[in-house]
Amino acid sequence: MTARDEHKIEALGAYVLGALDEDEARELDEHVADCAECRAQLAELTGMREALGELPPEAFLEGPPEGGDLLLQRTLRRVRTESSSTFLNRRVVGVAAAVVAVALALGGGVLLGRGNGGGQATALPTPSTAPPSSATVVPGTRVVSVTQDGTRLTATITPAAGWIRVNASVTGIPQGQRCKIVVVSKSGEQEVAGSWVVSAKAAAAGTNLDGSALIDPSQVASIMVQNFDGHTFVSANL
Amino acid sequence: MAVLRPRRRQADSDEALIRALYEEHGRALLAYATRLTGNRVAAEDIVQETLVRAWKHPEVLVNGKGSIRAWLFTVTRNLVTDSVRARNARPTEVAENPAHQPIEGDHSEAVVDNMVILAALDKLSGPHREVLVELYFHGRTVTETAKALGIPPGTVKSRSYHALRALRDIFGGPQVALKGVAG
Repeated sequence: MTARDEHKIEALGAYVLGALDEDEARELDEHVADCAECRAQLAELTGMREALGELPPEAFLEGPPEGGDLLLQRTLRRVRTESSSTFLNRRVVGVAAAVVAVALALGGGVLLGRGNGGGQATALPTPSTAPPSSATVVPGTRVVSVTQDGTRLTATITPAAGWIRVNASVTGIPQGQRCKIVVVSKSGEQEVAGSWVVSAKAAAAGTNLDGSALIDPSQVASIMVQNFDGHTFVSANL
Repeated sequence: MAVLRPRRRQADSDEALIRALYEEHGRALLAYATRLTGNRVAAEDIVQETLVRAWKHPEVLVNGKGSIRAWLFTVTRNLVTDSVRARNARPTEVAENPAHQPIEGDHSEAVVDNMVILAALDKLSGPHREVLVELYFHGRTVTETAKALGIPPGTVKSRSYHALRALRDIFGGPQVALKGVAG
């Protein structure tokens, strides 16, 4: 297959999604009529588009509900009430492990689970094998996940004695960008918690890094990803 | 860590779990439940119940299979079905209480199939998923998507192709993955 044909095949995805402009679509029509391989591909890709059509459209939405966190507060109240009243002591480790798993699925999962597109690769720990140390979440740990203009930041902020540990997963930043994680305090003070340059691999699959910042856990206002020119890709309030 | 009182630690874990789920999936679940029920207030109750069930069943979130999002959507869907059924029940019958329905309740095959696709979608890499969202969900063209995401049109094309291929590879895989989550 020539490089030109490879090019044509890659355009088939946009073609079945109806996203090519008219000229390009017509050109591809003509090519497909003559190319058995492209016809076979087209049939498969059309099948996947139809499968997507069976999804509830809401499956494509991300993030928290719009318009405040009343629902969150209500849910948290209910969980507090139920956990103080009933049976739940024995499940401490279970929930802690789940928090770690959810944090992984939110952040690490973008890298580990979604990253390779290879089926059942979700790297979630199981409760039976997770040792208590890794299943323990430090009190006051906060997880945020936001997507802005195609960049997703998922960060776990873990309190230490007067400072914080930061784990951040960042996807959607183009190759070659020199980036840093910046933590902002309530008084506007900024601390860099880590920096890196986006490799080709990281541009495709995302970056996960651990860092720290000398900001009191109670004083953390937001966390953001910037490049060295001061452009902010994504910013999350805590 | 060892000196912390367990109850306090538990409360914080509980809260972190609910918050994380809400931040990632809240918008999707609420929109889904609102469309199915046609009622924002009822939808909020259903999303709350869904999150509480996830919290009561932390094992489904850590069993290493399938997708958390697909599980949450399945629970939401079942709760809506149950509440409709309860509403339609004759007065002489005992109304089912959604709060006490086991999550292992009925899954119609159609719903499970949808959720397999949802789980597959959830496993795409960020860049793949993002291009599909623009092209398919928002109905944007390649040119518009390239501009919106700040990547070349050629990249949009190749990502959309590889995203659909990846979906097919995941979707075509063994479907027990999702059933493990749903059950």
